[in-house]
Amino acid sequence: MKQKLFTTYLFINALILLGACSSDDDSATDNGGEGPVPTSKYIITANPTASEGVADYILTTEDLTQGSITTEGNGIEQDGTYRYYVTNNNKFFSLLYGQGNPGAVTTYELNADGELEKLSDFQSETVQARAAVNDDVLMIKLSRDLESPYAYWYRLDTNTSTFVDEGQINTEVLADNGELAYFSWITQVGDMVFLPYFGIKACCNDADGTNFPDQANIAVYSYPEMELQTVIHDNRTSFIGRYANTGLSVDEKGDAYTFSSSVAMSNGEFTSTKPSAVTKITSGSLEFDTDYFFNLEEASGGYYLTNHYYVSNGKFLGFMEKEKVSQYDTGRRLAVIDVYNQSFTWIEGLPEYTTVTNVTARNNYVSEDGTTIYTGITSESDGSYVYAIDILNATAEKGLKVEGGVISAISKLDIAQQ
Amino acid sequence: MQTLIPRTIILIGSLLLGFFSFPQQGKTTVSGVVKDTNDKPIYGATVLVEPLNKGVSTDEQGYFQLSIGTGNGSYTLRVTYLGFDEKRVPIELGQTGESPYNIVLEESSYDLDEVVVSGKSIVNQVKEKAFNVNVIDAKKLHNTTLDLGHALDRTSGIRVRESGGVGSQMNFSLNGFRGKQVRFFIDGIPMDNFGSSFQLNNIPVNLAERVEVYKGVVPIGLGADALGGAVNIITNTYEKSHLDASYSYGSFNTHRSMVNAIYVSKSGFTAQLNAYQNYSDNNYDVTVDVADINTGEYYPDQTVERFHDKYHNETVIANIGVVNKSYADQLLLGVTTGSSYREIQTGARIVSVFGAWHRKGNILMPSLKYIKKDFIANGLDVRLNANYNFGQEKNIDTLHRRYNWFGQYKEYDNPGGERSYSLYEYRNNTGIATASFDYELSQNHKFSLSNTFNTFNRKGEDQLDPDSEIYEQPRKTIKNILGLGYGYEAENWSANIFAKQYFQQNKFSQSYNPSGDYGDIAYRDQTNKFSYLGYGLALTHFFNDDFQIKASFEKSYRMPETEELYGDLVNLQGNIDLKPEQSYNYNLGASYWWHMGTQHHINLNANGFYRDASDFIRPVLNNNQTMQVMDNLGSVTNLGIESEIRYQYREKFSAGVNVTYQNLRNNTKYEGGQTTESVVYRDRIPNMPYLYGNADMSYTFQNVGGTGNLLSIGYNMLYVHAFYLYWPSLGDDKFDIPEQISQDFNITYTWKEDLQFTFECRNIFNKKLYDNFSLQKPGRSFTGKIRYTFF
Repeated sequence: MKQKLFTTYLFINALILLGACSSDDDSATDNGGEGPVPTSKYIITANPTASEGVADYILTTEDLTQGSITTEGNGIEQDGTYRYYVTNNNKFFSLLYGQGNPGAVTTYELNADGELEKLSDFQSETVQARAAVNDDVLMIKLSRDLESPYAYWYRLDTNTSTFVDEGQINTEVLADNGELAYFSWITQVGDMVFLPYFGIKACCNDADGTNFPDQANIAVYSYPEMELQTVIHDNRTSFIGRYANTGLSVDEKGDAYTFSSSVAMSNGEFTSTKPSAVTKITSGSLEFDTDYFFNLEEASGGYYLTNHYYVSNGKFLGFMEKEKVSQYDTGRRLAVIDVYNQSFTWIEGLPEYTTVTNVTARNNYVSEDGTTIYTGITSESDGSYVYAIDILNATAEKGLKVEGGVISAISKLDIAQQ
Repeated sequence: MQTLIPRTIILIGSLLLGFFSFPQQGKTTVSGVVKDTNDKPIYGATVLVEPLNKGVSTDEQGYFQLSIGTGNGSYTLRVTYLGFDEKRVPIELGQTGESPYNIVLEESSYDLDEVVVSGKSIVNQVKEKAFNVNVIDAKKLHNTTLDLGHALDRTSGIRVRESGGVGSQMNFSLNGFRGKQVRFFIDGIPMDNFGSSFQLNNIPVNLAERVEVYKGVVPIGLGADALGGAVNIITNTYEKSHLDASYSYGSFNTHRSMVNAIYVSKSGFTAQLNAYQNYSDNNYDVTVDVADINTGEYYPDQTVERFHDKYHNETVIANIGVVNKSYADQLLLGVTTGSSYREIQTGARIVSVFGAWHRKGNILMPSLKYIKKDFIANGLDVRLNANYNFGQEKNIDTLHRRYNWFGQYKEYDNPGGERSYSLYEYRNNTGIATASFDYELSQNHKFSLSNTFNTFNRKGEDQLDPDSEIYEQPRKTIKNILGLGYGYEAENWSANIFAKQYFQQNKFSQSYNPSGDYGDIAYRDQTNKFSYLGYGLALTHFFNDDFQIKASFEKSYRMPETEELYGDLVNLQGNIDLKPEQSYNYNLGASYWWHMGTQHHINLNANGFYRDASDFIRPVLNNNQTMQVMDNLGSVTNLGIESEIRYQYREKFSAGVNVTYQNLRNNTKYEGGQTTESVVYRDRIPNMPYLYGNADMSYTFQNVGGTGNLLSIGYNMLYVHAFYLYWPSLGDDKFDIPEQISQDFNITYTWKEDLQFTFECRNIFNKKLYDNFSLQKPGRSFTGKIRYTFF
């Protein structure tokens, strides 16, 4: 049933996936074998590495495990250099990151011929956090300026592709310590929305630094009203998630697991005294479980986690890195993290991690049976490949080659029902 | 230009006067006036006394005076001027009270029209230098309503791209180089520090006498770190008193006016006042998808008027000083003052629309200019310039609103801006001093030394965040460029060789808050220094009077700009670690003049060029993607050709076509630490026009509605081949910038040589023109202009 639930949702984004899984709302269409020949396609977005004139290209394929596809003379060009993707309600949303400017969001679905077809565009603000919640996409635009300390949220209805509600949050009041609260990401937990945040000074030549490196905070909002319910605190770890990257996922039981990278900085120095670790909020509770603590630095032999992606049954794909250089790095060494029995296993069969130049951390695809996660890895000498990671055995197999770019997202769409 | 005047004089002197100097103790004087058959004085005619071989040139009034020290006798005055028949006048010397001679030259029936082409104007003399240079004779465009940017746009190898109408952001590209890789000068003085109120596309063409465009290889007289070329705008020469005033009015409520007055007294006192103004609402129509202000839903393909794009600027340039004195050929003190106001309608793309964000700037720049030929020693010419800009720039974005293209908005009651909540105001406190020395050792050997020194000291503040500035001090840069050159000139060939030393020092202090307590500040100091040596060579050979080839090479550098180093605190974050961009530039060109009879003239010009450039400074998003930051990325090669054909029939008809093709290729083989070849290695650089050209035609009717009155009709066409917005080789469903053809038409009536009426229609067929990315430019527009010239 848990896996069935997964199949009903075609979310690429891990958090989105997790958030939605725990939701009681089961409004997504059921594609379980009805209709003539239910077919689907994988969507891969590739971003060419170049110094200028870079656009993302959306490619489609029917097989992630073999063959090759290329951006050369192939793929739908996406306007604007930096784009983010959300899949919800069997639609693929391509959002422009426009540095504070509004931009056009293009929406695609798979037509009867199995080709991506552009639905009507709509306009969106540039947002720093975005995730599927129920049938919506919730987006939040954040402030890094102490002089204008407001975050703005927007609720997009994916059925009509229009914004139906918006509101604002005073993040200085929320942080209540002179800094601004900066949401790392959005995750639906039950019928609520959890917004883990970290403090930022938002001024003084150290806008991204914080003087409160050793605390984890989660603001809990009702949905769809977006009214603040409570703020959950913990001082066993540094903050949950990091800049524009999730740190919170919900398993099939509805328990939330929270991941801290321990990358708080002040004046260019890492200042947290806490280890990178996993903590837990039990389903129905609005408190951290004080009995649960999984020290990832200890388990990995000194690595810290930058990103995680939920696969199934308490097993996560963890993106680990040895040296802390910046708050914005993505871990290049992959491991299976089992939060139920607190085990940590490095994955075999991947390129030597020091030669890896890019990994797909935000938008991966989990197989419908929940045993395999497909992620993109680019290495110095080998180029970009989709790797199929067997989560039970912690082994990886090289699959589809993607020529002409790093893989920024892997997703799947079913043919849209007319 | 400053190097030209001495050269011209020397040329005339050496060829015609044979290096004779005039004895001071002259007892006999010959004087007179040289005029043409219309009773107009001829300026620059040569008057020789034979067989003494003593001579002089006539001044603006056609007047000449010659002192002859030796005795009496019969001599002959030989008077010559290009395009006129030589005249010989027998004279008797020795009598006192010699009355002035009135000499009338008759236009030569034989080569009158040839004068137009081969009678070497300054324009042609510059073109014939060994450098790859284009010269725009701006005077010929004085009756149009063009600004300097659009005048340059009609030149081969150049594309001027704008984000909109009057006063909009301009993107200048020259043989594939763009932005700050091309440097601009006014009378040889770098324009780097002029600020936003002094942009090429808001300076009227009437300010310039001519514009020189150096491609790839830049002579050391223009002492600057130009990577790919330089544009030198030559303004007034202080030869005679002069008044020129014009006003134009056109579509989109565009007003432009200009007054230029120069006074030169007999005693050499001179004063100049140049004032101009541009104003436009820029409210032309664009076709866009308009978003619903609340739901984000698009109403596709709506035609709407731009509603927040007003621009105006006002500039006054005043100079006072002396000319033609024993201690100075020109000694001028001046000040440039001005202000500009610009509303910002869109972001980089047309979907981001603003309704209140605007910028203001002003300029207050005192300047000093000194020119002296034969300074201290014979043949040593010196030129000094200095200026300091106290101007200020301000970014105003304080309304927390979101607009759509219908002009509707929603407003938030919190503090905030449309783009970035800001009232940032700054002064760059830039200064420039240049000195150049040209020494002519003999007729063949010339040496040049030039030095340009720049200072920069940014001070800024944001009223909304008064503490921010203390965290950003100091931001200081000094830059020095020293050039040394040697030129050899023979009868039919010449060569120039030069070296440039580039030096830059950046002082930067990053402060931080060590304890987290309010007001506690510590500083991290950083000083960066660069020192590089560039060099180059230029050669030319004349096979005969009508056929010339030239070749040149330069290894050039461009030092990082202060904006690139220190950011603008709005959209650009500083990067103090930037290195200079560098390039190897090669040119090979040929010119041919073809005369069919005496009335038809054809000039063919072709130049091939190759550029091999690396460490390009390009924007990327910073780590948390909130601002852009510049980085040394990318290498590019460019192999191209530009050619021009021009035909002239007497003084009545002229037509020309120029075409530029450039094969700009990405030369970055490995990207981002990869050891596999980049997928876009050797691909064509996207979002850059690579095939473009201009065609123009003009016909002049003589004696229309009265003797001497002229009616001329002109036509200009601009063509830009379609090009891709992103890498051409990638994707199959792509964005492109379609082919653009714009046709302009103008008609001018000149009455009694001093009053001109012009009517101009640009973009006659109202074609959609997209230029910078996908921003739309104005459609059809009409302008009328009236100009009065008083000599």
